[in-house]
Amino acid sequence: MGRLSSRAGSTFLQFLLLMGTLIIPSRESAAIPAFSRLYGTSCSTCHIDFPKLNDFGKAFKDAGFKFPKDDESMLKIPPVMLGAPANAELWPKAIWPGTIPGIPPIGLRMNNYFQYTGTSSGKFASLTPAGTLPPFVPTTDFETGLFSIFTAGNFGSDIAFWVDDDISVSGANASGELGDGYLKFVNIGRLIKLPKNSLNFRVGQFELELPFTQARSIWISPYDIYSQANIGAMNSLVPLQQFVNNQFQMADVGKGVEFSGGLHTGGYNYSIAFIDQNTSGIGQDQNPGSPYVPQATGSNLGGVGVASDANFKDIYASFNYRFNLEHDKESRKAIQAAGPTGPRDHTYLNFGTYYFYGRSVQRLLGAASDGTAALVTAREPFYRVGGNMTFNYRCCLQFNALYMYGHDNNLLPIDAAGDLIPLQNLSTAVPVGFIHSTPATFSGGFADVEWLAYPWMMVLMRYDGVNSTSDRINGLQTNPSFTGAPFNAPFASTRNRFTPGVQFLIHANIKASFEYQFRPSQSVVIATNPVTGLPIALNPFHTNTAVAGLEWVY
Amino acid sequence: MMRSFLLMVLLIGAVAVTAVAGTIEGTVSPGKSSVVYVDTIQGKTFPAPSQQPIMDQKGLMFSPHVMVIQVGTTVEFLNSDSVQHNVFWPSISGNKKLGHNLGTWPKGDKRPFKFDNNGVVSLLCNVHPEMAGYIVVSPTPYFAETDASGNYKIENVPDGKYNVVAWHEGMKPQTKSVDVSGTGKADFTLSK
Repeated sequence: MGRLSSRAGSTFLQFLLLMGTLIIPSRESAAIPAFSRLYGTSCSTCHIDFPKLNDFGKAFKDAGFKFPKDDESMLKIPPVMLGAPANAELWPKAIWPGTIPGIPPIGLRMNNYFQYTGTSSGKFASLTPAGTLPPFVPTTDFETGLFSIFTAGNFGSDIAFWVDDDISVSGANASGELGDGYLKFVNIGRLIKLPKNSLNFRVGQFELELPFTQARSIWISPYDIYSQANIGAMNSLVPLQQFVNNQFQMADVGKGVEFSGGLHTGGYNYSIAFIDQNTSGIGQDQNPGSPYVPQATGSNLGGVGVASDANFKDIYASFNYRFNLEHDKESRKAIQAAGPTGPRDHTYLNFGTYYFYGRSVQRLLGAASDGTAALVTAREPFYRVGGNMTFNYRCCLQFNALYMYGHDNNLLPIDAAGDLIPLQNLSTAVPVGFIHSTPATFSGGFADVEWLAYPWMMVLMRYDGVNSTSDRINGLQTNPSFTGAPFNAPFASTRNRFTPGVQFLIHANIKASFEYQFRPSQSVVIATNPVTGLPIALNPFHTNTAVAGLEWVY
Repeated sequence: MMRSFLLMVLLIGAVAVTAVAGTIEGTVSPGKSSVVYVDTIQGKTFPAPSQQPIMDQKGLMFSPHVMVIQVGTTVEFLNSDSVQHNVFWPSISGNKKLGHNLGTWPKGDKRPFKFDNNGVVSLLCNVHPEMAGYIVVSPTPYFAETDASGNYKIENVPDGKYNVVAWHEGMKPQTKSVDVSGTGKADFTLSK
C-alpha cells in the first residue's frame, strides 16, 4: 500500500491524535514577570486575566516593550548603558548607543492540568484493525503542561526583543521547543520620515500577527480552525482523490521577516510577513541538510536554510481597523478611558481581514520525459483567507469572531501516458507530472464571549466549527465490513464544539482555569434499522472533555 | 517706669505661653514613616486648616507614601504619571461606609477630597494594585511623623493629659496616655 493510501486508512491514528490534542494545551506565551520586576508593577497593569492584554498592554507592546511615554521615569531598575548618551552626538542619526535591562529580564511559567473524559470515549475501539490491541483512554488524567522560560525587553532606541522557549512539555524535556524568538525594530519609519508608528520591522521566529493570538490566548484549548491542516481526500474507497498533504497550520510559528505598522489601541494596524515554507512538516532536527552544503551556523541540526522545503517564501498579510466608540472625547485620545472608578479599556469595534499564500510541496520518485529516474515535485499553491471582528464593551465584555476559508490546489500525479495514477498505487507507479483537479478546501472559525465578571474572574463561552469535506472522507471506515457510513456526527468532518469556561485569578500571577468541551455524539458502528431499512448508528459516544488547569508565572 | 512695666508684662506673657504650648516627643519602633498624634480631646474642636497638601502619584507610586493631616483637611490628589491612575480607599479604619472612589484623571490633573472623618485611609489604585499609600487623619492638630531614626516631636500641645496614638503601616496602632506639662514623653514599640 502506498504512503498516501496508508494515510487514508489512518482514522484510528486520527482518533489518537484527537485524544492527544485534548490533553496537550496550545503553545502559549504568558505574562512577563520580568516587566513587573523592572517597573515594580503588577501584572494587571498590562493584562486582563493574563496573558490577555488590556489596552495599556497593547500600547506597551506596540512601543517595543516599554511605556509609551516617560518610560525611563517608570523604571524601578535602571537599564545599563552600553555607551554614554553623549556618544550619540557623534552619530546623531544612528541608533547607537543602546541599553540592556538592569536585571536579566527572565520570566518562568508552569502549568498543570487535570482532564476528565467521558467513559464512552472508548467505544471507538471497534475501529482497531483486527489483530491489534485497542487503545486505552483513561477517564481521568493528570498532566503537566509547559515549563517555559521567556525573556523580553527593550535594548533602547526602539529595538525590542522576545524569546520564549518551552524547556519541558508534559514533563518530557525533549519535547521543549523554541516558541517565538525575534528582534523588532520599532518605528523605523522615522528614518525615512514616515508618520510615527507606521513602520516596524521584525526578524526571527514569531507567531504571525493573527487576528486573535493563539500564543497569548486565555483559553486552555486551542482554536480548532487555527490547527486545521489541509489533508486532501485520500480514502481509496471514495472516488474523490486529492493529492494534498499540507501540514501548515495558522497557529504555527514562522521564520522570516515582518513589516508592520499602526497601533492596536486605535485606528489601523497591519502586518506583512514573509516566512519560510514548510508544508511537509519536516522539522529542522529531521532535516540535517546535505553533507556537501556547508552549514553556515555550524549547527548540528541543519544550520541555516535547510528546514524549509522550498525556495518559495510564504506571504501573510493582515489589516485591522479599530473604531473607537468611546463617548468621552478626552478619554478617547488616551490609551485607556478614564472610567468613574478607574482606567478601563475603550468601547470599540474592530474589523479585520487576513490572507496567507503559500505553496505546498510534495515530492515523488518518478521519471523525466526521457524516462530517466527523476524527482517530480508538486508545488500546490494554497491560501487561507478570512475576516475577524471584535466588539469590546468597556472593561468587561468582549465578543470575538473569526472566519477562515482554506483552499489548496490539487495536483494529481499522472504517468507517462498522461493517465491519472490512483493514489494507492503511487508506490509502484512512475509519475512524470501532475494535472489540476478538484481543490481541497475547508472553512470554519470560532466565536466567543469573554466576560470579566470580577477583576479576578473571567467567564467564557466559545463555539468552534470546522467544515472539511476531505476530513469527512478521510474519516470513513476502511474496514471492508464497514459499508461506508462515516461517524454519524463525525469529529473529522464538521467539527462543532461548544466550550464554556471560567477562570479565577488566585493571585495576579496564579490562575485556575476550567473548560468543558461539548462535542456532538459520534458512532463507529452503523447497522440497518430492521423496521425502516435505514442506517442507524450504534454505540454512540462523546468525546466531551472537562479540563482544569492551574498555571503560574513568576 | 512705664517702659519697665511693659517689659515685665511681655516677659510674664511669654513665660505663660511657653508653659501652655508644650511638646510631646519620643521614639517609635519601627522608625521611619510612623505617625503619632493626639487622639480626640473631649469637648474640643479645631478649625480645619486651609492648607491643602498634595498626594502625588508618580512613577507608579503614591508620594508621599504616608501623609498625616488634621480632620477637615482637603487633600489634592495629583497624577504626575503619563499613565492613568485611579485613587480609591475601601474603608477608613475598617469602616467600609467611608470607602470612596475618586475616579480617574490624566497627567497633571488634580482631584480634591475633604477628609471629615478621622482614621487611617489606605489609598489604592485599581489598575496598579501594587500601589499603596496612607493618609492618617488626626482628630487634632497635634501630630507628627517620625524621622529616619524613629524620633518624633509634636509641638504646641497645651498642658494636659492626652491619649497619644502611634501608627505604622502593617502594625497594630498603640495608644498611650501622656501628661503634658511643658513636655511629655512617650515611646512606642509597635508590633504586627
